[in-house]
Amino acid sequence: MSSHTDNTPESDSESINFFDPAAAAHPQPVFERLRKQCPVGNAVPGGAVCISRYDDVLFALRHPEIFSAVMPAGLIGNVRPLIPLHVDPPEQVKYRKFLDPLFSNKNVLKMEKDVREIASNLVSRFADEDGCEFNSAFAIPYPSTVFLRLMGLPEDDLEYFLGLKNAIIRPEADSPQQEVKIRNETGQEIYAYFDKFLDKLEKSPRDDLLSLFITAEVGGERMSREEVLDICYLFLLGGLDTVTSTLGCMVSYLAQHADRRQSLLDDPALLESAIEEMLRWETPVVQVVRTLTQDHTMGGVELKKGDAVTLVLGSANTDDEQFANAQEVNFERTPNKHIAFGGGPHRCLGSHLSRMELRVALEEFHKRVPEYAIKQGETPVYSHAIREVTYLPLQFGEGQK
Amino acid sequence: MSGGGKLKVEHDSNACVGHGRCYVLAPDVFDEDERGHGVVKQASVHAELAKQARLAAENCPEDAITLRSDDDA
Repeated sequence: MSSHTDNTPESDSESINFFDPAAAAHPQPVFERLRKQCPVGNAVPGGAVCISRYDDVLFALRHPEIFSAVMPAGLIGNVRPLIPLHVDPPEQVKYRKFLDPLFSNKNVLKMEKDVREIASNLVSRFADEDGCEFNSAFAIPYPSTVFLRLMGLPEDDLEYFLGLKNAIIRPEADSPQQEVKIRNETGQEIYAYFDKFLDKLEKSPRDDLLSLFITAEVGGERMSREEVLDICYLFLLGGLDTVTSTLGCMVSYLAQHADRRQSLLDDPALLESAIEEMLRWETPVVQVVRTLTQDHTMGGVELKKGDAVTLVLGSANTDDEQFANAQEVNFERTPNKHIAFGGGPHRCLGSHLSRMELRVALEEFHKRVPEYAIKQGETPVYSHAIREVTYLPLQFGEGQK
Repeated sequence: MSGGGKLKVEHDSNACVGHGRCYVLAPDVFDEDERGHGVVKQASVHAELAKQARLAAENCPEDAITLRSDDDA
């Protein structure tokens, strides 16, 4: 048995650093090396311990009593834990019992008509052009507009919210110290914005999520203002960023695989399982972080109480031990027990909303723009950690194969 | 698991966290509760519904669904 600190691979001839920007576009081979060379260990010397095999990742997700999701405040500009992400069961359960029904599959499907209209309107703006930069033209405004409408926030504040979200997730800083400073200042701005908005709602509640947050009983009593703010903070980050990234990854994949895109046009019934397969293959939320509540041995490696570990969802989802022909993309794959939305009690609250948004977006986009490819001479640009395709130049039209 | 026989469908609500694969892939066998967690709609299935039940069982990320032979039923 070895300590995890000795478990760094000796040869770095082939990088297993999936934080490397070059790996962000095609991370799957890096994940494969990670699983083979150090399934539980420091992928990068001095970095957090990475857990990369499907079974180990799923075990950790299912056992928050060992692998806790509770995080110290302050890492993403927050002064308190985000609710319900940074709260473990049993405390977490009362929040999920309140929030789950609001984002259940059934309730999400009721929003489909409105969401389709948002998608259709956005596509109309560029469908007759020769092409577009997909991230700014669609992937960013689409889920953000859905989110603002759902929450009951003013759609005129879209750019403002995007600025706040970006400053937390991808701060433009010259140094780690400056990153912390930007995040903390932005965090204060987020709390202040919602606090002021909730004050107004207290006086005149409406038929939206935020009004419900301040009036509903959770675990037998109304939530405190701080609890409501801690949910809002998480929703701002989750609601504005992850669907953008996922949609970008999917459209980029389809732009580069004309035969696959054609199979969706030929057989629209294939779309749902194709989305599942692209979720598996692309896994836009590459990793989540957990902290050990006790000593625990995994894969022959002693993890110590207090250790932070990175669960590499992207690697778990491309593990040959779990998926037949894991390195092949198969739109009809079954079984497909991917964990792109995590697993265990912290399963992504927005997974049903996300699936609906993705399906509607691809349907509406393909309706108007069935043929497209990456613009000649250009290359899509991916960010790491949450794989946003920050630059996705497309050209439209027949012959884009 | 026999090919054509009846199957008994069991769903472990303690393991279920609401991925929702079961009621999407097997809408005649599973339903969703208020929280979007799966619930069994048809506890004993055969033929076409058994196919659906198998699809749900093998696609549940939490392994919350168990199918047993139910030939005595």
